[in-house]
Amino acid sequence: MSNSLPDSSGSNHLVDPAVAGMMEGEHTYESITEKLTSIVLRQDRHGLPWWIMIGIGFVLYNVLFSVILKLLFTGIGMFGNNEPVGWGWPIINFVWWIGIGHAGTLISAFLLLMRQNWRNAINRFAEAMTIFAVVCAGIYPLLHTGRPWCAYWLFPYPNILAMWPQWRSPLLWDVFAVSTYASVSVLFWFIGLIPDFASLRDRSENILAKKTFACLCLGWRGSAEHWRRYEVASLILAGISTPLVLSVHSIISFDFSVGIVPGWHTTISPPYFVAGAVYAGFAMVIMLAVPLRKWYHLEEYITQKHMDWMAKLMLTTGLIVFYGYLMELFYSYLSGDPYEIAMMHFRQFGPYGWAYWLLICCNGVTPQLLWIPRIRRSNSALFIISVVVSIGMWLERYVIVVVSLTRDYLPSSWGYFTNTMWDALMYLGTMGQFIFLFFMFVRVMPMINVFEMRELLHKFHHGHGAHTEDATHAVEAAE
Amino acid sequence: MPKDKNENNTLDLAAIREKLSQSRGKRYWRTLEELAETPEFMEALHNEVPQAARTSDLHLDRKQFLTLGAASLALAGLSGCRYLPQKKLVPYVVQPEIQIPSIPLTYASSMPDPWGYGVGVLATSNEGRPTKLDGNPSHPASMGALDAISQAQLIALYDPDRAQLVTQQSSTASWSDFYSYAQPLLEGFKKDGGAGLRFLTPTITSPSLIQQMQNALQLYPNAKWVQYEPVNRRSAYLAAMAAFGRPVHTVYNISKAKRILCLDADILLTSPNSVRYAHDFADGRRVRGTTVKADLNRLYVVDSAPSITGAMADNRLSVRASQVQLIAQAVAAAVGVNGVSAPSGLDADAAKFVSGLVSDLQAHSAASVVIPGEFQPAAVHVLAHAINEKLGNVGVSVQHVEPVTAQPADPKAEMAALVQEMNQGTVQMLLILGGNPLFDTPADLDFASALVKVTNRVYMGQYENETALQCEWQLPESHFLEAWGDLRAFDGTASIVQPLIEPLYDTRSALEMIAALLGDGTAEGYHLVRSYWENHGFSDNQEPFDFDFKRLLYEGVVPNTAAKPVAVTVNPGSISALPAPATVQAGGSSLEIMLRPDPTIWDGRFANNGWLQELPKPFTKVTWDNVALISPLTAARMNVPINKEGAYASPVVEISVGGSTAKIPVWTVPGHPEDSLTVYLGYGRTDAGHIGNVGHNVYPLLNTKNGWNVLGTVDYKGEGYDIATTQHHHLMEGRDIVRSGSIAQFMKDKRMAPDKDTEEASAGAADMGRNLQQPNMYPGFEWDGSAYDYAWGLSIDLSVCIGCSACLIACQSENNIPVIGKNQVMRGRHMNWIRIDTYYESVPGELETYMTHPKVYFQPVTCMQCEQAPCEPVCPVGATMHSVEGINQMVYNRCVGTRYCSNNCPYKVRRFNFLNYNNHFNRDRFGRNVTTLEMAFNPDVTVRSRGVMEKCMFCIQRIDEVRQKAKIENRPVRDGEIITACQQACPTNAIVFGNINDTRAKVTSLKQQPHNYGLLADLNTRPRLTYLARITNPNETVTPDTEPKNE
Repeated sequence: MSNSLPDSSGSNHLVDPAVAGMMEGEHTYESITEKLTSIVLRQDRHGLPWWIMIGIGFVLYNVLFSVILKLLFTGIGMFGNNEPVGWGWPIINFVWWIGIGHAGTLISAFLLLMRQNWRNAINRFAEAMTIFAVVCAGIYPLLHTGRPWCAYWLFPYPNILAMWPQWRSPLLWDVFAVSTYASVSVLFWFIGLIPDFASLRDRSENILAKKTFACLCLGWRGSAEHWRRYEVASLILAGISTPLVLSVHSIISFDFSVGIVPGWHTTISPPYFVAGAVYAGFAMVIMLAVPLRKWYHLEEYITQKHMDWMAKLMLTTGLIVFYGYLMELFYSYLSGDPYEIAMMHFRQFGPYGWAYWLLICCNGVTPQLLWIPRIRRSNSALFIISVVVSIGMWLERYVIVVVSLTRDYLPSSWGYFTNTMWDALMYLGTMGQFIFLFFMFVRVMPMINVFEMRELLHKFHHGHGAHTEDATHAVEAAE
Repeated sequence: MPKDKNENNTLDLAAIREKLSQSRGKRYWRTLEELAETPEFMEALHNEVPQAARTSDLHLDRKQFLTLGAASLALAGLSGCRYLPQKKLVPYVVQPEIQIPSIPLTYASSMPDPWGYGVGVLATSNEGRPTKLDGNPSHPASMGALDAISQAQLIALYDPDRAQLVTQQSSTASWSDFYSYAQPLLEGFKKDGGAGLRFLTPTITSPSLIQQMQNALQLYPNAKWVQYEPVNRRSAYLAAMAAFGRPVHTVYNISKAKRILCLDADILLTSPNSVRYAHDFADGRRVRGTTVKADLNRLYVVDSAPSITGAMADNRLSVRASQVQLIAQAVAAAVGVNGVSAPSGLDADAAKFVSGLVSDLQAHSAASVVIPGEFQPAAVHVLAHAINEKLGNVGVSVQHVEPVTAQPADPKAEMAALVQEMNQGTVQMLLILGGNPLFDTPADLDFASALVKVTNRVYMGQYENETALQCEWQLPESHFLEAWGDLRAFDGTASIVQPLIEPLYDTRSALEMIAALLGDGTAEGYHLVRSYWENHGFSDNQEPFDFDFKRLLYEGVVPNTAAKPVAVTVNPGSISALPAPATVQAGGSSLEIMLRPDPTIWDGRFANNGWLQELPKPFTKVTWDNVALISPLTAARMNVPINKEGAYASPVVEISVGGSTAKIPVWTVPGHPEDSLTVYLGYGRTDAGHIGNVGHNVYPLLNTKNGWNVLGTVDYKGEGYDIATTQHHHLMEGRDIVRSGSIAQFMKDKRMAPDKDTEEASAGAADMGRNLQQPNMYPGFEWDGSAYDYAWGLSIDLSVCIGCSACLIACQSENNIPVIGKNQVMRGRHMNWIRIDTYYESVPGELETYMTHPKVYFQPVTCMQCEQAPCEPVCPVGATMHSVEGINQMVYNRCVGTRYCSNNCPYKVRRFNFLNYNNHFNRDRFGRNVTTLEMAFNPDVTVRSRGVMEKCMFCIQRIDEVRQKAKIENRPVRDGEIITACQQACPTNAIVFGNINDTRAKVTSLKQQPHNYGLLADLNTRPRLTYLARITNPNETVTPDTEPKNE
């Protein structure tokens, strides 16, 4: 089975344009499996970069634990929050991390339903990114409460006091939105991993790894019936996940738009938050994809075309977000509401004006570079733009959460916010957690969907529409 | 363990005593064993495990093993239960007659104000712990209210840094040690009549202590008694001596004055008797719907250091303190005081002010009053006496009475003479009873070096302060809640000080100490006070039912003891002998430095009082520090950067006066006179206690040659200092926050709404400021119309709110609000449930007017108890809920602390326990953990722990208390029966609480006034707290009523 593949230039006219450029180089089913599973099975595929990243992640992860320990003993007063700024970095970081997760779900679910084959190469690690981002995000709303040990009161659990949560509060909606999101994402991710776990089980020589993967793959044998059920389950989960892409961040935006704080109380929030989330998510996927494909020599699987399309998606969502910024200005100044107008003026020209203009630069101006094809094809440029966008999205939440709160109705209560060292350390700590979890994932699970890549290869062979569920495919896949 | 060893283990108290007697200086020990240094203890210490536990060779048979095993199991089970400290308690065998557990008792007593005059208080005691101080309604200096400083003296009782032991040169001693030290010395003094004996006290008004002191002076006729305080009434004394030839005490009756002129007198906050003055002032200017212009009094203030009196003025003239005499002279000349010629050099503003003022005063002769400031020279006081006499006010609004204090004298001269004697070595024994002369005497006297020249130095006071530490003996003095005593109020009315608690430590009162020194060693405060009043009309022949005296205690006021009026007239010679107004050439880097006591910690004596340290000061809202106030224009001229928004660091300037220098951060205050600097004394203590050693010491600027207002050079070198303030922004930004206007505007349009929109939005009297006509998705609450339908509401009259902050301390004391410290305040986490917002206003668009002639508004803001509260729907756990009666209730134990409610509160009245603030200051100055401060807690209010939100609930514990009482008596709650803490403390009765369903309630009638309005009511919050607009009564010939109204 040594077939030559068409190259990315698309010179082979037999290749369907839908999959053209999705894989480069010479591949067989066997070589794909070998290349992708060996990352998990062989430590020597993990060089110095992996050690550096896992080291950084480990150190920062411990920082996170230390901060949490201190937080539990001291109280949230160690952060910069105050009156009037009741929510500070923890909520900013929560929204930021949740937003990042969205790209993963969009890639794995939305694009699946849209039959976008190019998602195959990136969906696995994007989903992992989603889950780890949600883990990072989930820490914040819990720990930013004054009494985290009582936070379970937000759940409608049966108790002798017959006390229920207060259903009108958007924070309660958050609990359900985020927990649903987390559980569906984990489930979707795990279902997708089952066939690959089976491949790993078959290939691993280490008895412990073999047993572990054997457990994880839930007895997958690659039978046609397995594949049929798998496809159905994926589709159902994709169907459940897709509305979540829209709903989760909409609900999070309600935290703000339900409040009467000028700068929060706008109906534009839900679409604007969702677009922002996908925008930030794609930035993060790019930030992960660029080093991964270089360090693990995956350029043939995550091709320049992938990068190009992700960049285009980032540009699209970026434009939506930028439109949101403009509309926000428009609505504020047209509202006739003196508080709203004053807030918008303050946002731009007050002491936190730097944050607003930096945000506009990061999120509005910088991504315009992506119109230029040469920049979309430059990995380092993409990486830098993604970093800038991530910073911009953080600043966006800073401007919304903190800057709005510093000035609301009574000038006597206007205040200022300065973060503390602990705010920054906790943020770094969750980054460490993310890095640590992500590179542990890279080490123990296939970061690129092996069987879907083989399916892609199959499509190269059999042309478009080869939605093959035939036995040949199943046999091949099981190899 | 062998028995013979056991015998050695018993503690030998004799050995401990012996060890202690050999040791010198302070020692700390954990156990008595350690103290005794017994060999057993040392061994145990080295082995860490006591011998008893090291029984390694256990020989157990089966039965013993099972017994032991069973016992272990049982005990293990026990330890799983909650550990309860085992202490023996002796319950009441017979419950005291009036003591019902959990029902507080209130006693009438009195306490000294910072000037030394008595103020009647009602002290609340919970199971023997004093927990609250309120004003005594029958006391003339209180009228039921109490200022912030006085209320905060409650926490001073429990201050862990109070002097607790008699110490002699830092080693512990006892009172008998002291007496046996002092008696031979005093015996020796009898030979020469006590020529080397000196007493140094603050101003004393206590009749029985004065009696004791006079007894002492009779025994030692050559001894001297010096009364000195840095903030004293020297000018008033000197003026009385000049004008009347004798020490005459002048009391003003503001209720009889329609026109009030304050010549730099801060009658509403810092002057003596300010609570009474504020009360009378407010009574003369309550605006109701039917009020006409003639009903209102008018306050003219010639203001130097910015005062809340100036802010309340209808017509304010802001001049440097040295120019006040010029104004006073101009007024005197214009009203026709003989021998005063009109001065030249008045600028146009001042001339206009004087001419308008004088015709107004003359039109109200015998119904006006001119009050000179305590920090003005005697000349201003003499002029004020002459003007009052000329206007016929004497005997009406001005009363000259016999002196209230003992031995009135010039404190500065007395102190200088004392220091001179100390330096000459003629003082052999100096008894200092309170005060802190080492810290606060004028710098050029150099009290510190004089003090060490005295051989026998004894200090008695409540704190081991700077002075105490330089004395040989430190005697702990009782707090006024611990000791018997008596005091005279500003008008002379005497009242008894009765203790509510046994002394917490081994303390005595000054009265007892002097009595003991005079040979009556067993005399108790009670007997001393009782015997004094026995000799003054309250005979003690009815023991044990001493009705006469018990009546005094019950009422808190000794009847008919007001000082007797004296008929005096101003000596014309004193007018002609007046010094010419000092010409202080301020300009360039020379500024006029106006030294004033701090509005919260006074001369420094309250530095260790956390409530007062954290009380935002008027105008600046600065806490924990003193700042020098400066006009923005002068600051700009001096190139001192005006504090930028968001920047905490304030520029620090160096002030030099006659060679002495002091550094202090400056703070710009609009309306401050140009070319001058107001500097507050009292900060920069070095031995105040655990929390009091903060701020900048400016006492070096105080010297004997100058008065309160001196010329100094000010130098800014680019230094900065972080200041904690609770309000950063003082402009209303055109928002409808404080509605205000003149009485003329009120007569035209009583609604006082700033524009048509707002006016249309407020439906007027019917909805009581709640904007009920705004759309609502839900039907309104259906009341069934019974007398038990309570809808609690609060009304605050901004016309009479003087911004004195008494309500803040009242709330803090009532509701167990913690003190959080400067760093937390700087983070913006101050905890006060009620706050006084201060706003400046000027003609829109005219920065210059804002800088020089702003109008100042005070607005107390606390929870509005919105009927449609934005905080309620956003709480995910339902920790903040609405009661049927309209209280927005905070359920502390349900709160998880998301702070969403606070974010969504448009009034920002919610406060969050970011840290465990109740643990912040429960340490003494040695860093030891102490729990005395917990004794000040009100047991009816939950002490909030870390991580929960808190806020005002209209003193719901007081509502419930009255409701229970009414329920027992089977009747509805009466109007005025429930008084919130802020309402109770308010000197001007600006705050009124009640049931707005009750059409006859006072609060309802206030809320139906045409100028009643709800703050931010256009947000559809339907506030239950509403305000009456601030109405002023300016003299339009002085300040033309040109304020544009946006129609």
